[in-house]
Amino acid sequence: MADRCECGHHAVGIAPAALAAIPDTRRLHLDVREDLRRGDAPFAKIMATVNMLGVDQALEVRAPFEPVPLYTVLAKLSLSHWTEAREADDWSVWFYRDPAAPAEAPGGVASAARAPERTVTLDVRGLEPPQPMVLVLQRLETLGQNEKLEIIHSRRPVFLYPQLEGRGFVYETDEPEPGVVRIVIRRGTV
Amino acid sequence: MIPAPGRAPSALLPLTYLLTAAVAFVLAALAVPWLATDLAGHYYHPRILALTHITTLGWITLTIMGASYQIIPVVLERPIWSERLAWWQYGLFVAGVIGLVGHFFIAAWAGLLWSAGLIVLGTVGHLLNAALTVRGLRRWTFTARLVVLALTGFALTALFGAALGLDHVRKILPTGLFANLHAHVHLALLGWVLPMVIGVAARVYPMFLLVREPEGVGGAVQLWGLGLGVPATVVGLLFQSPLAAVGGVAVAAAVTAHIAWIVRMARTRKRPALDWGLRFALTGTAFLLPATTLGLALALDIVGGPRWAMAYAVLAFGGWASLTIVGMMLKIVPFLVWYRAYSPLVGHGAVPTLAQMSWPRVEGVAFALLATGMGALAVAVGAGKVAWIRAVGIVIAVGTIAFATTLARVFHHLLPCRLGGISVARPSVTP
Repeated sequence: MADRCECGHHAVGIAPAALAAIPDTRRLHLDVREDLRRGDAPFAKIMATVNMLGVDQALEVRAPFEPVPLYTVLAKLSLSHWTEAREADDWSVWFYRDPAAPAEAPGGVASAARAPERTVTLDVRGLEPPQPMVLVLQRLETLGQNEKLEIIHSRRPVFLYPQLEGRGFVYETDEPEPGVVRIVIRRGTV
Repeated sequence: MIPAPGRAPSALLPLTYLLTAAVAFVLAALAVPWLATDLAGHYYHPRILALTHITTLGWITLTIMGASYQIIPVVLERPIWSERLAWWQYGLFVAGVIGLVGHFFIAAWAGLLWSAGLIVLGTVGHLLNAALTVRGLRRWTFTARLVVLALTGFALTALFGAALGLDHVRKILPTGLFANLHAHVHLALLGWVLPMVIGVAARVYPMFLLVREPEGVGGAVQLWGLGLGVPATVVGLLFQSPLAAVGGVAVAAAVTAHIAWIVRMARTRKRPALDWGLRFALTGTAFLLPATTLGLALALDIVGGPRWAMAYAVLAFGGWASLTIVGMMLKIVPFLVWYRAYSPLVGHGAVPTLAQMSWPRVEGVAFALLATGMGALAVAVGAGKVAWIRAVGIVIAVGTIAFATTLARVFHHLLPCRLGGISVARPSVTP
């Protein structure tokens, strides 16, 4: 068995102090292995659980593989993670709030201190429809006035555009490289 | 005028097409045990022609048309040119199919003319809409090229079909009846359905299997194999020349390259488990192997006669096309229903996932019955045994009803009472 952490903030093999300090009674466990084996996408279930998560709680997600895309998504909600590989097809990832963790630029994209607008990046490549749309629309609900959401997609999301317009967002789309589509979304001016 | 990129693709339009197509599939499946005696005979029989056309036009073509109105905006990244035209086309085409199937069934050849005319009008509407949608397309991808190839095949199939109808009333075609019939069937199968499925699969399967889009020399083999092989096959069949065999080999090469792409995508997929929709689609692809082998054997005169031809038609239209379409419907319909019913609510409250809208247990029943049923039906019609055909027909009919039931369950999310009180199960979390 091996422990590892993608963010590199914590020692391998030992749960980080902030996580270790959370008592068992404040820990939630969500096992999505069966969902994934059935072919069901567990993203909405995970996000629903995350939305219920209290500031002093931790959530363990059990999955048959390392759920790397979740790290970026939940980091934007200020959740740190600690990953434990129990078996080759049994991964346990803890998400929790770490007061000592350095404030991460939303989306993992470094933003200049004096920049007037922060960029939040969501990479939705490799997600099955309609998960990209769900993820984007959920994230837009918490988008600040000084933020723009940058979506990295594998195609132009033609079903998303009308939703953005209907919710008062403006967007620009370009293709920085073949097979990669970037959509930058901002709140529209009233 | 090219529409603005932000215009909302309609969900109701493709859903209407797909629902009508599903009804046609159920009717066709129910007809199989009923027409068992006819199916054990020669394929040139009015009721067999009725069954063939409710399958090819009512089920397969209406599905492709409907799916086009969802998939074209996605794969070509632009909305369709006119939804109003698509609605008109729907009315004309469905009326034409009802007339055609009805007149075939009662063997009233004169009545076929107006029915074929309506179908041609509906086809022209679809082609016009598609042509104006792709007009000005800057990036001619593999999918875009094959969609255009398919639409060309569709136009020629409809025109040829109308000419066949006219030929029954007043002899206008210089070639023989069976040569015309064989050419018409292969124009529809290889010139319309095959390039459309191959083209769309290259773009849509990666979305569902979570793999990179396929690329490489296999694309050229598919494009050129169909582009050259289909005209050669059809002309060869029309004039009963060896060109049919040459064309058949080219088409077989294209199909082999397509299968190789699908196998590679399935093997390298990141999706850990296959849902029933994908199992249907991949099983449909597997049916291409016996269908192509038998088609090639027929083209090379290794086998011949109506029994082998009937088995070939069942493998191609029932096994490959129908199972692939059922699989794609199980993916497309829940998405469209979800999009129409729930996408405005995302971010404001809980919405169901596609998995929560589906019914895997019944989908599994449909898969078991239809996949085994289609293979067994090919054997039964090949053997010409009435009892076998009737028994297998019942299996297929039950499987089709199971499939239709799963669709009905998805469609019920559109009911106003359902939308008024969305209930979504909370995730089960253990403290």
